[in-house]
Amino acid sequence: MEEQSILERIKRIIGEADLVWVDDQLGDSYLVIPKEKLRRLAIYLKGDFHLAFDTLMCLSGVHNMGEQDEMEVVYHLYSIRHRHQFILKVKLDRPAFFPHFYLRVDSLSGIWPAAAWMEREAYDMFGIHFVGHDDFRRLLLPPDWEGHPLQKDYRESEVYRGISTTREEIEGILAEESG
Amino acid sequence: MPLTTETMVLNMGPHHPSTHGVLRFILRTDGEVIHLCRPDVGYLHRGLEKIAEQLPYAHFMPYTDRLDYLAAMNCNLGYAITVEKAANIEVPLRAEYVRVLVAELNRIISHLISVGTFAMDIGAVTPFTHTIREREWVNDLFEELCGGRLTYNYVRFGGVAFDLPDGFLDRLNRFLDYFEPRLEQYNRFISKNKIFKERLVGVAVISPQQALDYALVGPNLRASGINWDLRRDEPYSVYGDLEFDVPVGAAEYGVVGDCYSRYWIRIWEMEQSVRILRQCIAKMPEGPHWNRSKKKLKVEPGEIYVRTEAPRGELGFYLISQGGPKPHRLRIRTGSFSAMSIVEEVGSGLMVADLVALIASLDVVAPEVDR
Repeated sequence: MEEQSILERIKRIIGEADLVWVDDQLGDSYLVIPKEKLRRLAIYLKGDFHLAFDTLMCLSGVHNMGEQDEMEVVYHLYSIRHRHQFILKVKLDRPAFFPHFYLRVDSLSGIWPAAAWMEREAYDMFGIHFVGHDDFRRLLLPPDWEGHPLQKDYRESEVYRGISTTREEIEGILAEESG
Repeated sequence: MPLTTETMVLNMGPHHPSTHGVLRFILRTDGEVIHLCRPDVGYLHRGLEKIAEQLPYAHFMPYTDRLDYLAAMNCNLGYAITVEKAANIEVPLRAEYVRVLVAELNRIISHLISVGTFAMDIGAVTPFTHTIREREWVNDLFEELCGGRLTYNYVRFGGVAFDLPDGFLDRLNRFLDYFEPRLEQYNRFISKNKIFKERLVGVAVISPQQALDYALVGPNLRASGINWDLRRDEPYSVYGDLEFDVPVGAAEYGVVGDCYSRYWIRIWEMEQSVRILRQCIAKMPEGPHWNRSKKKLKVEPGEIYVRTEAPRGELGFYLISQGGPKPHRLRIRTGSFSAMSIVEEVGSGLMVADLVALIASLDVVAPEVDR
């Protein structure tokens, strides 16, 4: 099915309000939807016979710090049955105070189990919380790691478990050793 | 009083010969049976996605070698195609053929390692030495081509770094003539070995539905009976002009989607790769190998998701550009990652020794999981 007819079907289900279709000049166009509608739409996208998005190819977090501090969760969907793809985006505000309270979105791991690990990774790297996830913890980084490294304003802490992470200190030690 | 058994928590890894890099599994076992299997990954996390945001586009190429060190060419190629699509760079025809040639050659040696370690993991050490012997020959060919034996850094935006050396195609031909009968030998030696089959047939079956749900890709997906290959279905580079079959799990022995079908698919794919290589040699056109542009690389703002078929399945690069010299975000989606995420589901209920077979059959490479 063509992108536009998929879009028509989606509009029929969740209504046209608050949907933003972005025609990307470079490559892939995408649909931005409000996060309240995500779960309902995802169930439909997977279950509908004519859409049948059976795989979640990729789930990515994105952090933009331009005019507005916001995070995005991007879902690349593909239907192997019908051979078509669609891209969904959810935008989340990231206010300066209590950001973790705002960075919340429904987990889709019950719909596409592949999302389970990708969501854990997105939490690990961006600090986005996925509500309704069975086993929600960090994936790649150790549990006691501070901060979420792919945030644009991330600062590495200078010490991790008593080991310095800065180059200056290591160079200082080396200089001392060589006398 | 009901008869109960006691469960035990067993820690497998991070240093375990069968875990293909550094992986750890936390198992809750009841005797030999696994009740719960939790993979613990991240030991090889190098923050490639963060590094990509801090480097100009071209400087990230050597890092893609380290993404999956058993298939460095395919990772190079995936990244190069992504940036080329984003920046509208033309690739000369000869370069396209050279790229397909090295990608398929790399697929062969990656599958060789996969097959060899598979046999080794379940207790047959000798086949590994045989597959390594063949791989060594290809490593020599690659060394001749680009100087590297493992991390090549060979593909460039708009072509490849070096043209084929004199007589390379003849030497490649000689390798293929030698290699094709070897596959038959492997079949006699491993594939049709009774012990090997007993050990794998019907073990750890992944149904087609599960495979789709967990977004398995590449050989693992096809072994579950789903006929899907990017090289044929969404041809990139010159795959559209080449003839090859896509092997799909058909259960010669046992059932579709068991460990044995995942093994067997890889043997078939090597056969098909040889076929592709022979066509590449026959069709290799003359011309420049690198459309080297003097202009500074410029990527317009926007985003693009490009996937290519690496030996471990789809390798997706999701590039977001804001027009600067560096990407705003580069997300890398790899085949081993999704293969690893299904282990928890499929691994529960297996015997401990069968878990080793499952991991080996999924052909998980730890650095590709952790990135």
